[in-house]
Amino acid sequence: MILEGILATCQPLTILWIAIGVAVGIIFGAIPGLTATMAIVMFLPVTYSMSASQGIAMLMALYIGGISGGLISAILLNIPGTPSSVATCFDGKPMANKGQAGKALGTGVVFSFVGTLIGIAILVVLAPVLCAFALKFQAYEYCALALFSLSMVVALTGSDMPKGLISAVLGALLATVGLAPIDSRSRFTFNLFQLNNGFALVVLLIGLFAISEVMSFAESVRKKQDFTIEQNVKMKGAGFTFAEFLAQIPNAIVSALIGVGIGILPGIGGGVSCMIAYTVSKNTSKHRELYGTGIMDGVVASETANNATIGGAVIPLLSLGIPGDAATAMLLGGLMIHNVAPGPLIYEKNGAVVYAIFTAMLISAVFMLLFMLWGMRFFVSVLKVPKNYLLPIVMVLCGIGAIGNANQLFDTYVMVGFGLMAYLMIKAKIPTVPMILGFILGPTFEENLRRVSQLSSSDPFYNHPIFCVLIVATVLVVIFSARANIRDAKREEAAGD
Amino acid sequence: MKNRNNYKLDIIPGVVLALFSLFYMSRIPGIKVFKGLGSTPLNNHFIPWLWGGSLLFLSLWLIVRGILKYRRLKAEGVISGEGSLFGALAEKREVIFSFIALIIYVAFMESVGFVIMTCIYVFVQILILTPVEKWAKNIVPALITAVITGCLLFYIFRSVLNVLLPVGMFGLGL
Repeated sequence: MILEGILATCQPLTILWIAIGVAVGIIFGAIPGLTATMAIVMFLPVTYSMSASQGIAMLMALYIGGISGGLISAILLNIPGTPSSVATCFDGKPMANKGQAGKALGTGVVFSFVGTLIGIAILVVLAPVLCAFALKFQAYEYCALALFSLSMVVALTGSDMPKGLISAVLGALLATVGLAPIDSRSRFTFNLFQLNNGFALVVLLIGLFAISEVMSFAESVRKKQDFTIEQNVKMKGAGFTFAEFLAQIPNAIVSALIGVGIGILPGIGGGVSCMIAYTVSKNTSKHRELYGTGIMDGVVASETANNATIGGAVIPLLSLGIPGDAATAMLLGGLMIHNVAPGPLIYEKNGAVVYAIFTAMLISAVFMLLFMLWGMRFFVSVLKVPKNYLLPIVMVLCGIGAIGNANQLFDTYVMVGFGLMAYLMIKAKIPTVPMILGFILGPTFEENLRRVSQLSSSDPFYNHPIFCVLIVATVLVVIFSARANIRDAKREEAAGD
Repeated sequence: MKNRNNYKLDIIPGVVLALFSLFYMSRIPGIKVFKGLGSTPLNNHFIPWLWGGSLLFLSLWLIVRGILKYRRLKAEGVISGEGSLFGALAEKREVIFSFIALIIYVAFMESVGFVIMTCIYVFVQILILTPVEKWAKNIVPALITAVITGCLLFYIFRSVLNVLLPVGMFGLGL
């Protein structure tokens, strides 16, 4: 099975797709406003006719390239290409200002590679363990797990708890459209046969992320963009000495562990992990006063953490079917399209695909390192690509992605509807990430809750210790996040006054 | 500086979502309940009631929070003047035109066909996303981009990748 997976990825055509995926991902990551999620959305229809291993390998390559590419604009423009590179700006741009743009880029690239490798290593070790553990899960446990995951999302996505909850509930509510679980009675379909299977996850994601991105660019058409691209980029090797590399290893390991840990939690992406890793690195450093003035340590912390998040986010995706962030939610859509069902049985049913994914991630990391070290001049020139030409083409590809999902035009109408909804939600400051988790976890919760209602008389809940632990954890998360939310709201009010 | 109109970001979404949740819940009694062998004590109405009720509760929470903010700001005398709706819409005209272009694109794709609608949409969308003063320089490049995009994507996805893109009334690409 392992060999089968490795061989499936090591085919010349698959490697070519991975190389293309990494290059496109880096371009999307580098251009501010285009994200890894959009790259995956755009290339999803291209994978429809590929084998599962090929298609998923390409999506993984886009993901890794997309997260890594963000460092280019963070360092050269002081604008993070993706939210995952926010903290890279803090020291990356000051380094560039000091004439060390090449060193900053080299540091970012090498430690992105290191972070990805650590993330993959932990993924390879932890995913089967989590799968084996999750095999013990029955209706009680799945029901509690869905509830716990939703509570985590709500607790950790922003300070406005009611709006986070609204987003999650709205997602769960949209998931009730279609045939009900267990008894297959149609609900909220308005006699449209296209709605019998409910809304497709991919279509929801395209609407939420791609359309809203185009609209936010449309808002800025008349605003003057005030930024200058650092032109003085000289890359010689990695840009730093071996001694400097060794000195950064402890910082990289701590940051990678933070990245993986954050990645495992549902609903939180690299944006949070790079900030936390940067803060931890700064607070534990002997020269914390130098952070923000342009030192390697800040770039290392941010870039190692955000790339390690990739491995972390894939752990719950493969073993439980719960995505760690928006990009992995898109990957979940890709897995479903290729008839790969993530969950505890994935090793038994699609073991070869799982090992193909691991191999693809490894190859993608190597390509990312090579492309970014030797092709940096090209990627820097990509920053000048006019987005007014690029975004309409992205929109057309999104439309093709929606049509190709089930070969029905109806999905494009749904896509536009979700796009409008996402735009209005963003304007109302309602986060969109909890909605995805609500949409994915809502049906799991419903199905298992109804099974639990059948079982409760013969198999009471106290026979399920994992269920009890998860429910207690959910209650604790809700209590602590509610307290933190009230504290944050009071602080914001005080700052406003 | 405090956002003096942020109470609107609670009240308006709150009202819209409350109305939506009421509409959603009004449809629940129409769902057929399965009562045969293997039916569950919690039927297929339970979760819709749970989500609909939760959304209504949270929407009312937003409305009340917005009203309280409004009262406090009004008491402090810091409520800013109302801007005109027309002015606000004009400020977002590129967004509105983008949505209109997108709606027309998907609405006519089946009847007119993918190639023609894509060429028109890409051309129009490029112009919408380009400042008006730069239109003159961009019309020809936009037109070329639109035609290449429409034809190339149709060929790649319909002929090579077998995605069923609509051919439309002119039967292009057959």
